[in-house]
Amino acid sequence: MSAFAMDWYLIALVIFTGFYCMLASRSIVRQLIGLELISKGAMLTVISAGHQTSNLVLAQALLITMIVIEVVVVAAGLALLVKNFRIHGTADIWKLDGLKG
Amino acid sequence: MTYHNLLFVLAAFFAVWAVMARKLLTSAIMLALVSVTVSLIFFDFGAPWAGVFELSVCAGLITVLFIGGVSLIRTEEEKRPEGRARFYALPLALAAFAIAAWFYLPPFFEELAGAKVLVSGGGTIGAALWGLRRPDLLGQVLMLAAGVFVIKSVFPRRTEK
Repeated sequence: MSAFAMDWYLIALVIFTGFYCMLASRSIVRQLIGLELISKGAMLTVISAGHQTSNLVLAQALLITMIVIEVVVVAAGLALLVKNFRIHGTADIWKLDGLKG
Repeated sequence: MTYHNLLFVLAAFFAVWAVMARKLLTSAIMLALVSVTVSLIFFDFGAPWAGVFELSVCAGLITVLFIGGVSLIRTEEEKRPEGRARFYALPLALAAFAIAAWFYLPPFFEELAGAKVLVSGGGTIGAALWGLRRPDLLGQVLMLAAGVFVIKSVFPRRTEK
């Protein structure tokens, strides 16, 4: 097996772990942790692909954009967690629909 | 096992630990360790800018945000913990996925690697960011503004009547 295929195989394991976390848990924090893990896997694929095609410069430029988006998504998710906790006293993601209105 | 593969295995190991940890604080710290490992992988790939951003923003800022959120809900989480059975099943599910994927995914990835198109990847990160990907920078600024707007709309200022 080539190094590229081995890297992507291990990245697939990280992404599977993230998906499993999002499926198994109802806590908003764990949902965000799962999302972060999937995002890390996506970042690794971008850099690995950039390395494979000898275009690391563009891959890094894309990755910086991804990191900024990731921070904003996590900040917005945690803001919803705090709001949900203040209203319902729980971090259950199924209670998020109580914020509508 | 090479240093490169070891980093990937460590990232997967910390990811599993982050999901399986009983305490959310441990999960947040393990997520930070995943970020540190991923940034080391970036350095190993020869992508120092991405590594620095990953280390400072993901392992630093996002961990602080997570720990802040976790410390807020910790008492409630300790009072009503989640069922652990589904998390204990993770190693089993991951092992089943790893065995099944071992037969199907590597040939697909080899095919992907065979279809690569080499491009001229010269230049500097500054030229790529300010020259090639300038609209991305505008998008990043707008995204940050959207984040600020989300926080402001989620926590509106209370008006006293």
